[in-house]
Amino acid sequence: MKKIAILIAITSLFIFAPQEETKAQCKQQRVYKCARQGGNAIYLRDFNTKLRAVRSSRSINGTKWPVVLNRGTRYRFILCTPIKSRNDVKLTLFDSRHPETKPWNSTEKSNTDKFDFICKRSGVYYVSIRFKPGKGRSKTCAVGILSFVGKNQ
Amino acid sequence: MVKKIFFLLSIIAIFSSCGGDDSSDVIDGPDANEEINRVEIDPEKINALIEMFPSPIEMAATIEDLKVPYSKKNLVPTETAGDFDANFEKALGLGMLSADLGYLNVYKRKNAIVEYLTSIKRIADALDVDQFFDFQTLKRLATNSTDMQKLMYLSVTSYHDMDAHLRETRRSDLSALMITGVWLEGQYLAAKVNQFKSDKKTEEIIVGQKDILKELLEVLDMFNEKARFDGMNKQFHELATLYDNVKIEIIDGEDEIIKEGDITLLIPGEHTTIEYTQEDLDKISNKIIKIRNNLISL
Repeated sequence: MKKIAILIAITSLFIFAPQEETKAQCKQQRVYKCARQGGNAIYLRDFNTKLRAVRSSRSINGTKWPVVLNRGTRYRFILCTPIKSRNDVKLTLFDSRHPETKPWNSTEKSNTDKFDFICKRSGVYYVSIRFKPGKGRSKTCAVGILSFVGKNQ
Repeated sequence: MVKKIFFLLSIIAIFSSCGGDDSSDVIDGPDANEEINRVEIDPEKINALIEMFPSPIEMAATIEDLKVPYSKKNLVPTETAGDFDANFEKALGLGMLSADLGYLNVYKRKNAIVEYLTSIKRIADALDVDQFFDFQTLKRLATNSTDMQKLMYLSVTSYHDMDAHLRETRRSDLSALMITGVWLEGQYLAAKVNQFKSDKKTEEIIVGQKDILKELLEVLDMFNEKARFDGMNKQFHELATLYDNVKIEIIDGEDEIIKEGDITLLIPGEHTTIEYTQEDLDKISNKIIKIRNNLISL
């Protein structure tokens, strides 16, 4: 009977563990802490992802999310990562007219972990969180926060 | 012995396959008394479309930022919410009430917040998403705390978690209704605000939704075969045709980057101009109000 239990345990590990790993994201506490960094801006949504270690220089690692932004609104984008990967990850804002390679802005471009964007066209934009070029030797998680700063008066 | 092992391993394999297959989203009619249609939809496509829609708090934050006085009379009455019977109405109502809760949060109306939290909890129970709506914590924050930021954060994350769970449990139709409820209630509030005090910014919030409505219709049309969607979708298509006269033009320009303390502000040079007449605005606003009022009195 003991042998059966061990076999079941091992099989369960193989079946369940990989799914759990791919779904792993930053913990909610980190998301909340990151949202609080927006100051008085109102939290709208988060972009929570796990970044797998980069295996080759050609691999594009990370996630992108579509997001509707409204004309005339000032939005704040914040990126939070664990301290060990602080300078390894970037958050990028782009759309169909300004592709990811030539984006509206990114934390890398602005050289900070947050930037504001005044939307001048209502529509679908994209937010991506990826490793910076040449970074990502070990896996990490990252959170992006989108918050509402105000209508552009 | 070998048979026993094989049997046990088979059970594990069966359990592990439950919910693990995301290759297609099979949607069954949620109500026993409604017509059951099975719609095969690519879950990645529907997730991407639904997830991009604005947060339930965004329109409220916009209205508050425009210094519009608080008015509870424009919100969905909680007594009406108690009459939502079928899952179709409940999901739509959950979106509308979440937008209303966002409104109450930004205006810091604590008594009304508890009233709306109670209504949302009732619907969340009925839709079996109550595990993502921490009613006790939200109620405690609304009654005893001055930390409105935390209350807003938890309200919005609860909404997103309920929405995500509906899609994970193959009820994307209800998720689509939730985002429809949020969008419609937001536009309804903007239209009512504009009737009270017309101003260019509020007008442009309403007429500027042309492209966003197209995206919403792309989601809703996926469920055309499902009971009750067809009738609702027709109304939204009629609304979309009213936007035909609204012309949105993209104008190029030079970006401006301003450093404000530790924040970099980007003001895009590229911008849009919106051309519309008072008649277009009135027709669109009246249609939004009509659709919303029809839907809550189902």
